[in-house]
Amino acid sequence: MGDEKNITASAPETAGSSIRRSSRTTVRKPKKDQILPGIAILMLIIVSGAGLSFISKQLAFFWITGNLFGFILQRARFCFTASMRDPYLTGGTSLTKAVLTAFAITTLGFAAIKYGAFISGAPIPGQSFIVPVSLATAAGGILFGIGMVIAGGCASGTLMRVGEGFGMQMLSLVFFVAGSLWAAHDFGWWQLNVIMKSKAVFLPDVFGWVGAVTIQLLIIAFLWIAADKWGKRKAEQSH
Amino acid sequence: MKEVVLDCLGEACPVPLVKAQKKIAELEIGDLLIVQIDHSCAMKNLPEWARTDGHNVEVEETGDGEWDVIIEKTK
Repeated sequence: MGDEKNITASAPETAGSSIRRSSRTTVRKPKKDQILPGIAILMLIIVSGAGLSFISKQLAFFWITGNLFGFILQRARFCFTASMRDPYLTGGTSLTKAVLTAFAITTLGFAAIKYGAFISGAPIPGQSFIVPVSLATAAGGILFGIGMVIAGGCASGTLMRVGEGFGMQMLSLVFFVAGSLWAAHDFGWWQLNVIMKSKAVFLPDVFGWVGAVTIQLLIIAFLWIAADKWGKRKAEQSH
Repeated sequence: MKEVVLDCLGEACPVPLVKAQKKIAELEIGDLLIVQIDHSCAMKNLPEWARTDGHNVEVEETGDGEWDVIIEKTK
């Protein structure tokens, strides 16, 4: 019976022991029963959501999607930082491909929402998020990238791990907020003197709706294949 | 056969991974490296790296959100 159990438990966290250890390094801590607190928190989330819906429907919607997003992020061990860092560090590109797949799905979703509004003559939602692209974008990206690798997580990753109870990243969060406030304080100057000097591009204006979606998906597919090839090559090199 | 324990509790990703990569280079074939982690991200990339590198890997949950990643150096 015991052996059968080991074979069926194939998940990495519960895999049966085939490596022989001479000693157990840590005494297994008694596991706290988390089911009751879990149910209590779920209730609290639902009640808070219902409460928020009286104030504003949109607020309740944000509350629900935020909670779902956090849950998926945590359970999937999804990490935007790792998706950009691991190809270099470990040669692993599974998260990179996952992020690219998510981009492809959101591309279709956003295009559908925006096109739907466009053909019915309604104002296209989210157009205020189309901002100028320039070298400033790349410079900001590099700065953000350095920061997130040192801090061990981007915005969503840091929040998710604070929720998990990882102490060091509570410190990250404090300075994340401090940095964001400082950036918000100075943003007006950058907006006026740097960002506004270049042009904002809305791809459907340039390539048409079908063209824009096709080109974006092709670029994502190209990156996906490149990530896949890179991962395989790295795995071969190390053997 | 040696067993080396690497305490990475409280260290954020990618520190446990980098430490493990450095440590495994010092070990002999057949030695065990036990990396203790509590950062959920390392739970993913540490076993992934060790497996693609060709070692035997096992993950054992020692507590809530704490894991031992046991790596047997095979080459």
